Order: sequence, then C-alpha cells, then structure tokens
Amino acid sequence: MNLRSLAACACAAALLAAGASACSSHSAGTGTSTSTSSEGGTLTIQGDSGNPTLVENFNPFQPSTELHGTYLIYAPLETVSSINGSYTPFLATGYKFTSPTTLVYTIRSGVKWSDGTAFTPADVVFTFNLLKKYAALDANGVWSQISAVSASGNDVTFTFKAPNVPFAATIAQTPIVPEHVWSSISNPVTFTNTHPVGTGPYTLKTFAPTQYTLTKNALYWDASKIAPTSVVFPAQATSQSTNQLEVSEGQFDWSYTYLPDVKATYVDRDPSTNQYWFPPGGTIGLFLNLTQAPYNNVNFRQGISLALNRATIAQKAVNGYMKPASTSGIILPNEQQWLDPSLPGQGVVSQNHGAAMAAFARAGYTSQGGKLMGPNGQATMTIVLPNSFTDWAAAATEISSELGQIGIKVNLDEPQYAQYAQTTQAGTFNAAIGGFGGTGIPFNDYNLTLNSAYAAPVHTPTVNNFERFNNAGVNRALATLAAATNPSAQQQATDRLETMMYQTVPVVLLYYGGSWGLFSTKHFTGWPSASDPYTLPTNYNYSLLTVVTHLVKA
Amino acid sequence: MRYILRKVTLFIVTLWAAITLNFILPRLMPGSPVDAALGKLASAGVPITNAEKAAVEAQLGAPHTSIFVQYGDYLRNIATLRFGTSFSFPSQTVALTIGKALPWTVVLVGATTVFAFVIGTLLGVYAGWHRGRFADSSVTIGATFFGAFPPFWLGLLLLYWLAFKFGWFPLKGGYSPGTTPNWSLSFLGDALDHSVLPALTLAITTLSGWVFGMRNNMINTLGEDYVTFAEANGLRSRTVALLYAARNALLPNVTAFGLMLGAVVGGSVLVEGIYSYPGVGNLLYLAVTNHDYPLMQALLLVFTLSMLVAIFVVDLLYPRLDPRVRSAT
Repeated sequence: MNLRSLAACACAAALLAAGASACSSHSAGTGTSTSTSSEGGTLTIQGDSGNPTLVENFNPFQPSTELHGTYLIYAPLETVSSINGSYTPFLATGYKFTSPTTLVYTIRSGVKWSDGTAFTPADVVFTFNLLKKYAALDANGVWSQISAVSASGNDVTFTFKAPNVPFAATIAQTPIVPEHVWSSISNPVTFTNTHPVGTGPYTLKTFAPTQYTLTKNALYWDASKIAPTSVVFPAQATSQSTNQLEVSEGQFDWSYTYLPDVKATYVDRDPSTNQYWFPPGGTIGLFLNLTQAPYNNVNFRQGISLALNRATIAQKAVNGYMKPASTSGIILPNEQQWLDPSLPGQGVVSQNHGAAMAAFARAGYTSQGGKLMGPNGQATMTIVLPNSFTDWAAAATEISSELGQIGIKVNLDEPQYAQYAQTTQAGTFNAAIGGFGGTGIPFNDYNLTLNSAYAAPVHTPTVNNFERFNNAGVNRALATLAAATNPSAQQQATDRLETMMYQTVPVVLLYYGGSWGLFSTKHFTGWPSASDPYTLPTNYNYSLLTVVTHLVKA
Repeated sequence: MRYILRKVTLFIVTLWAAITLNFILPRLMPGSPVDAALGKLASAGVPITNAEKAAVEAQLGAPHTSIFVQYGDYLRNIATLRFGTSFSFPSQTVALTIGKALPWTVVLVGATTVFAFVIGTLLGVYAGWHRGRFADSSVTIGATFFGAFPPFWLGLLLLYWLAFKFGWFPLKGGYSPGTTPNWSLSFLGDALDHSVLPALTLAITTLSGWVFGMRNNMINTLGEDYVTFAEANGLRSRTVALLYAARNALLPNVTAFGLMLGAVVGGSVLVEGIYSYPGVGNLLYLAVTNHDYPLMQALLLVFTLSMLVAIFVVDLLYPRLDPRVRSAT
C-alpha cells in the first residue's frame, strides 16, 4: 500500500464520518435561530471569547471576566450612547443637576426584580454603597468622584466631591443589583453569581461551557417592547480566522468582527439580509513621550503631524474602512455637534512636507544629506505597540516608512500587550501607538488623556495620560467643562479643548478606530446604522442592552 | 540494581530543576496579569482607566509578596498537590481546570500518536524492504510532501475546505455548542465528529517522521549478516522482513515512541488553537497570554512530569528490549 491509497482511505473515512454526522454539525449555529413563534424567536449573538470554553460568571462588577449576557440581565439607571453621549432611560426616568455637585436621579416605579421582589430606590443606594465598601468592585472609580448617595421618595441624590457633570454618564451605567440577594453575599469580589437576579429584559436560562442562553424576563417593566424571546451566545473560537469563517457562514444575527473585504465575505453571501455598519468608535494616535526631548517640543510634534499621510495610514491599517481623524479629538461624524466650526478642515491635518520641515526647523532640526539632524544628531524614535493588534502594526509600519523618508530613524518594538502596557504606563517609551477617546462624551475623552492629575512621574505607572501632558490652560478648560451644566457653556469649553488639542498636539491623532458591526435582518430589524446611529454596534458593553431593546421582529 | 538507583536519583534531581524552572520562567515574562487582563478589554476598544486597573488588580489578587516567599509557597503547594486558583478562571481551581482539559488532549493526541506510529512504522518497513524500487520512492516522496506541511497551515487548509466550503465537519470546538460533556452515545459521536479534523492534521504531519526513521533503520538492518543468512536459508521473505529485520530496526523507534507518548500530555498548541479544541494546548496558550502564573506553573509541571516519567520508563524498559544496554552499564 502506498501513500496515495492511504490518503484515499483517510478521505473515504472522513466522508463516512461526515455523512453520519452532517446534521449534528450543521444545526449547531443556525438551527437555534429558526423559531417560528409569533412572539419573536431567537436572537443569536456572537458571544464571549471562549478560549475555547466559557466559565460561568454573571457578576456585573468584574469587567475582565463577566459574560456579555450580564448586560441584558442587570439594567442600569440609563444607558449612554458611545456615539454621542445621548441617554436611554431604564431604571431611572431622568436626571437633573440641582447644582454642579448635586445629581438627582428619579427612579422608575413599578419595576420588579426577576424573582418577583419589588425594585426600590433603596436598591440603588445599596448598590453604590456596595461599591464603596468593596473598592475592588468600583471599576469606574465612582467613589473617587462622589462623597455620598441617599434616597428620598423616588429620588436618589448623588453628592459630588467636585463638579463633574459628565460623570453622570458613569453613574447612569452602573449595573444595579438587588439588596435582598447581595446583602447576604459574604464576598462579592469573588462571587461568580451563577443564578443572577436582575431587572433587565432577560434572565439566565441555560449555561454550557460553549454556549449560554438567556430567556425573556416576563416581569420586565417594558416586556411588550422586547422582541426576541431568547438570546443565544455561542462562545467565540480561539482563532480569529475561525471566528471570521463563522460570521461569513451566517451563524449569527449580530456579530462584532473585523472582516477584510466585508462586501464579498459577508454582504454578498446573503445580500437581502446581511448588512454591516462600521462607524468610528475611537481615535488611534501616535503618543509621544512628553517627558523626553525632542518630543516635548511642540514644533517637533507639529512636524511629525504634518509629515504623515493619514489617508494612506488608514488605508493600510483598516482596509480604508476608516477616515483620517480630526486632530481636535472629536470623532466625526459621531460627535459632529461638538466640533468647533472655526477649525480649518474640521481639524484634519493633511500631509505637507514643506510645512513639516518648517516646523522641524523651529524645533532646531534640519535635513542634512537625507537625515533630519538636530542638536544631538539624527532624530530617532522607537515606536512601541502590542504585537497582537494587527491594524496598529500595519499603521506603525507605514508611519515608520513615511518618517524615514523625511530623515527620522524609526524602530518598531512589538512586544506582548502586557509588556506594552508596562512600558507605556511607566513612561519609559519614546513613542507608542495608542487609542484616544471612545466614550462618546468629549469631557471624558479629553480628561483621561490630558488631565495632568493623571501624569504620574516617570516609573510610576499610570494608565491615563501616559504621555504625561501637563498644561495649566488645558486643566482649567477641563475644570470649566466639568462644572458646566448648560449647553452653551459646555460647547464653549469643548471648543477651547479642541483648539488646544489641534495646536499643541499632545497626541498625534491619525485615524479612527473602527467598530465592526455585522447584522442580519433575517429575524430582527432595528439595528443601529448610519441613518439611525443610536449607539455603537459593540456587543460587549451596555450598547448590547440598548440595541436588543431596539429590535423588532422581521 | 545500581542502574535503577542511578536512574531514580537522576529523576529526582531533574524533577527539582524542572519544578524550579517552571516557577522562574513565567515570571521572566515582562508585564503583569493585570495588564494582560486589561489588554483583552483594550483590544476590544474599551477605554481603560486607572480606576479599572486598580479594581482588576484587587479582583485578581495579584501577588504582592516577595519572590522567595512565593517560591516557598509554590514548593509547599506542589508537595500537597494544591495549585490554587487561576487568574483566567477565578471560579474554579487550577486542578479542576486542567482536569477538564486533559482527557480531551490525551484521547485526541494519544490516539493520533499511536495511529501515526503504527501506520508510519508499517509504511517504513514496506519502503525499506522494497528499497530503491518504485514502492520505496513513492512512499518516501509522499512522506516528504506531507511531512513538509506546517501543522497550523494544514489545519487552516482543512478547516477552510472540509469544514467551511464543504461543510462536512464542524468549524470549531470539541463538541457542539450548548451541550455539556457526558457519556451518552450521542455526545461521544458528536465529540468524535469534532475530533476528525484535528486528528487528521496531527496524523498527516507526524506520520512522515515514523516512516523515515523506520525505513532508514530497515535499510541498515537489511545489510546485517544475519538477514543475509536468513535469506540464504530460504526463509519466506515476509518472515525475514518482519521477524528478523523489522524487529531489530524497531528499537530506536520504540524509544522515540516512548518520548512521544510523554509529550502527548503537552498537546499541540497550534492545532488545538486552530480548531478551538478544549485541550491543554489551548489552555497553555490562554495561560501565557493572560500571564496566569498558577495555571502556567501547574501545566508546565504536568508536562515535565509526564515527560520525565516517560523517559524514566523507557530507561527502565530499554535493557529488556536491548540486552546490549544491560552489559554496557
């Protein structure tokens, strides 16, 4: 027997095995979403990363291990769109600032927990006090901003330590847990909550290591508006290529995956139902270490900004799905209403070698024999980025070649994410690719990146403002924006921050980071889209709750 | 007896060295488990804050004690077979996590290794007996061709064509989504169906090693005087090939097979990764990306232990298979 006939044998065996089990292997993903009940049917969402199996955890305060379904089980006061910061009410009917440090939420009455107990403002107060008692649960730093929470009638009042009006969005999106269940849990920090009791539109039905299913909560306060009777979350594969194949195969009603050539790989496979929406969800930029020369020289940073062709970088990084970013820090078109109209070209900087060389000259750098020479010899830069972020790697390669053309010696350093985090947080890098913004609220975006309160000394780690920007004018503008309760004052302060961002280039913003929403209208419609951009198509945060409650049966 | 005593001493010293290396190696990786956990959020585009880092740090309970205290705890835990809680699966013990993954790998990789060894060795005998003829060259060329496939590439190829294009096999996993492992016939069938592609990938890429090893040993052995003598006595050629030549040629392959069985427990990170197979290879990948020291340590311990035991057993068995080793020591 030679190898050819052996191969034939193997193929025959394979065929037999496939024939015997074709049904079982195919019904896995798609069969679940073919319910014909008039009430709504099953919604299949590409779920959590399985690695390759899931561990049951519905503790809504564990951002790194909780399962995405948690967002449908525990409703917050309101959800906040990461597109433009607009609110959708859930457990609250609305809020108002009675002073810049006093926030009053009006709680919805008639809401029940999924075990039948009535939901009350006391549960809201209990939840926030739980975060105070267990700082490990307070992942959003609520108690770094507020000093007290109390209930009176249907109102819950939050007292701030200092004015922070935009922080209402963080309070709004805190998951609320039932006092009658959580008060008797001995250690809520390690609690994995396998029998979740919530106020959200769904409850946990079944959990298996590769898939979990939620079923509609009949006691939900707005149950008649909820279309899908159940929501299935199959675990994602370890390998990204398998995930892409599953999406392409049409196993999901909603998935969140980057696909190259999305028209051919997704839309064309079922043009009548398959659609995608890839809005910008943040800004990718080149972060220069502002504690090191020459990067601490604003002219040098302007030179870098002018030397780069953002359209080419975006093309190489994300297949041209995303546009060059406005260097104002405003994400377009999502936050168009906040853009300062006086910024030239909406703040998008075009490549201009002449202007770049002029800026470098002001910083003391001139081109000599094809090299950009300064007081200490040729300008050099090592750009650090995580090796698993392939779009950033493509962008960095293009940046390196473009800066090389004007005579800067660029090295790329691509370690694992954890090492990248260590280097950037410690402030021991030259330059890093990083993300800016994406909260949908300009104040939060600017504050996290520019507030000098975060700019720890080099070697003291900080996640935010790791480029260590320190500008008294920007700090003042941030404080003004934080305290502004009326729209015109907010606009004015935001305009000031946009201009400062545009002029002082604390971060060389490059292109928008995409949000990769892929939808099928076979079973449900009402997905967010360019014409109805009510939130980002992300299925791993409270956008999930906003979207699922928007759906209607197809 | 002295032979066995020496091997036992060597085993214990090697074990200690391996255990210590298992402790040191994961900690040489730059970055912390907290950063790795936040990296998963960051890669999805979630803005990360200092508050979030502090919360995740507190939840993971990342070690703050000195490295020597950690080493002492580690040795004590190994002695009492307690491996603690992993950062990736905080709700279950490391032992349980590994216990769930190990059977999948042992069955898949074990069965494939035995299969590849038997088929590969038989093909090697066949090619060696017919050396220089068409049968030999077709086996050799075929084995070279398939042996040259990198496992991950062959895996992707099979996945794309057999699972995605033709839909004969499931795309991922060890069993269908929504089912929980049990001993029912339908589940076993489902698991078998899911194991075909990874098994095929592993078998095709490991087969050629056995073919070459056996063929070359055969050709050497066939040149020995006792084979010529057997042929001269007019024994049937099959008897000569199997009982005289192959039996002697098999010895080096048996050693290699013992070592391969020891490595079975280590699984195959790449192939398990491509098929999202719920085995230890995938678990190791996860542990490394999450900087999950407790899980990594326990996995490396299991790998080294099974490898050391395999070497030890082969060492002990070898004098029985080959009397020449006994006299040499």
